[in-house]
Amino acid sequence: MSVIKINNLTKTYTETEVPVHAVNGIDLLFEKGEFAAIVGPSGSGKTTLLNMIGGLEKPTSGSVEVQGQDIAELSSSKLIDFRLNNIGFVFQAYNLIPVLTAKENVEFIMQLQNWDKTKMNERTFAILESVGLGNRVNSKPNQLSGGQQQRVAVARALASKPQFILADEPTANLDSKSTTQLLDIMEKLNKEENITFIFSTHDQRVVDKARRVIKVDDGKVVSDETKSEKGKVKVK
Amino acid sequence: MMLLKIAWRNIWRSKTRSAVVIFAITSGLVGGLFSSAWMNGMAKQRVINTFSYETAHIQLHHPNFADNFDVKRTISLTDKKLNDISKMEGVKAVTSRLIVSAMAATANKNMGVTIVGIYPKTEKEVFGLYKNVDSTTGDFFISKKKNSIVVSKALAKELKVKIKSKIILTFQDFNGEITGAAFKVIGIFKTDNSPWDKTHVFVKDTDLRKVVEIPKGQSHEIDILLDDYEQASFISTDLQSKYPELLSEDWSEIQPYLSFITEYMDMMMTIFIIIILSALGFGIVNTMLMVILERTKELGMLMGIGMNKKRIFLMIMFETILLALVGAFLGEFISMLLINHYGKVGINISSLAEGMESVGYSAISYPVLETYRYMQITVLVILTGIFASIYPAVKALKLNPADAIRTL
Repeated sequence: MSVIKINNLTKTYTETEVPVHAVNGIDLLFEKGEFAAIVGPSGSGKTTLLNMIGGLEKPTSGSVEVQGQDIAELSSSKLIDFRLNNIGFVFQAYNLIPVLTAKENVEFIMQLQNWDKTKMNERTFAILESVGLGNRVNSKPNQLSGGQQQRVAVARALASKPQFILADEPTANLDSKSTTQLLDIMEKLNKEENITFIFSTHDQRVVDKARRVIKVDDGKVVSDETKSEKGKVKVK
Repeated sequence: MMLLKIAWRNIWRSKTRSAVVIFAITSGLVGGLFSSAWMNGMAKQRVINTFSYETAHIQLHHPNFADNFDVKRTISLTDKKLNDISKMEGVKAVTSRLIVSAMAATANKNMGVTIVGIYPKTEKEVFGLYKNVDSTTGDFFISKKKNSIVVSKALAKELKVKIKSKIILTFQDFNGEITGAAFKVIGIFKTDNSPWDKTHVFVKDTDLRKVVEIPKGQSHEIDILLDDYEQASFISTDLQSKYPELLSEDWSEIQPYLSFITEYMDMMMTIFIIIILSALGFGIVNTMLMVILERTKELGMLMGIGMNKKRIFLMIMFETILLALVGAFLGEFISMLLINHYGKVGINISSLAEGMESVGYSAISYPVLETYRYMQITVLVILTGIFASIYPAVKALKLNPADAIRTL
């Protein structure tokens, strides 16, 4: 079952004298439970593509359909609600709310969804436990390492029970050990809970873990490979 | 609840900057509230002194008495009226007076004065002037000597008289004849209103009635003290309907100036505080704009993960209001301490005493601020916070989440 259907998606920035085609006619399908990486060099258009999939940017043309709903047609306020209820985000620079504890950061998104307090509490502890932070629930972001903060970000992305999680360069600021831990956790969640993960990355370690690797360059898909169980794809 | 929690904690992210804003609000409010309380205290004291020395809360006269203070324009059956009025609800005390325009003469000088003929016992129940005559300056009709007079310190100075000196009072009697009598000074008073002091002398009703030949049972004025001066208007209206042949006036009609300064001070205080809060409001707007600039990335993230515009707006508004409220509570608390302290010990500006007293104000004033004023200020601060948050919040809402997240 396809979760996301991308049709002839383009994004052109016209603020400069020469228009920049950041994304140039991309067609893609993402199935439920995929663990996919969009890779490519800087400026290739992978983050713009991810932003349009997540409804953070509107396409110049084409469509992004999430379970049959073209999100480009939604008004900005409906788009915010759509993101809240359907998409989990993990950003490059952790982007937690610095004044809230790990627990409060995870709860925050559920409060936006008006969860019952008891259920919210149970889910928060369960998710933080699943990302290995059951003992750091009351720590604020500045008391956590980069890897731990990114795990809280993953927990927050999961909390709202999204259709899929978009992770933009999630390991860019992490050391090797933290990267491995984070990727193992995301892979486990993907396998055990069948959650769709889509990364934009140029980190080889992420590419190695991904089961589908989509290479983009100059705003176009240059290859789209699904790996066998233990196959590896190198980033060019 | 979560928004309030975030807003509160956000205030303390940049402690120095928040402290500067809070200090500005605190000092602005302390300055504004204390000076307002000072002005208010002066005005209140002026009003209380006027009640205590000059007007009481309500006066009854012959309808045309004020035209030329004609001694024949009297109130008849005064004793019965005093008895009836004293039984009215809200009336604390009542007395009657004779009022006669006269010329006071000594060997040194002649001056025009108003003689007030009083019954010392009931006079003391209604007016407080007797408290301004202490043992060092004689007494206020404690002795039963005939033809005794109490004058002010200012008049005594003008006429060059002291205790036991004689003053000749000349006036028109009830039959239109010019007559006069000698009175011996037994007491000297002083109020904070030197023009009034110079023109009023006090004698016993019985002494004055005899020389002016005013028939028994008639007076020129009935003075009424109430339990609550704010009821004066209602009770005066009742009295007017009860005694249609007389003119009943409450203090604000007798002394429109008093009513004016009370309302004027109220208005000035409100305007003063609004000006201070407006100035502070611009400071808060500036601070919140800096906050938005600093947290662009965070705001982008919040929008990205699904925090809607209403919540973003509320979060910024709460932060602004809470920041302003912290300053307001500190400012109000410090103001309250200062006002309570100086409300007890008073602020003495004796160097300006002569000038102050020439317009009826005391050189020592006691700041006072009613409780409702503090509540009013708190509401105004909340409104300032709301208004100050609008522009920064609108700026935040215009952010594009994708661009904002990319911000360094």
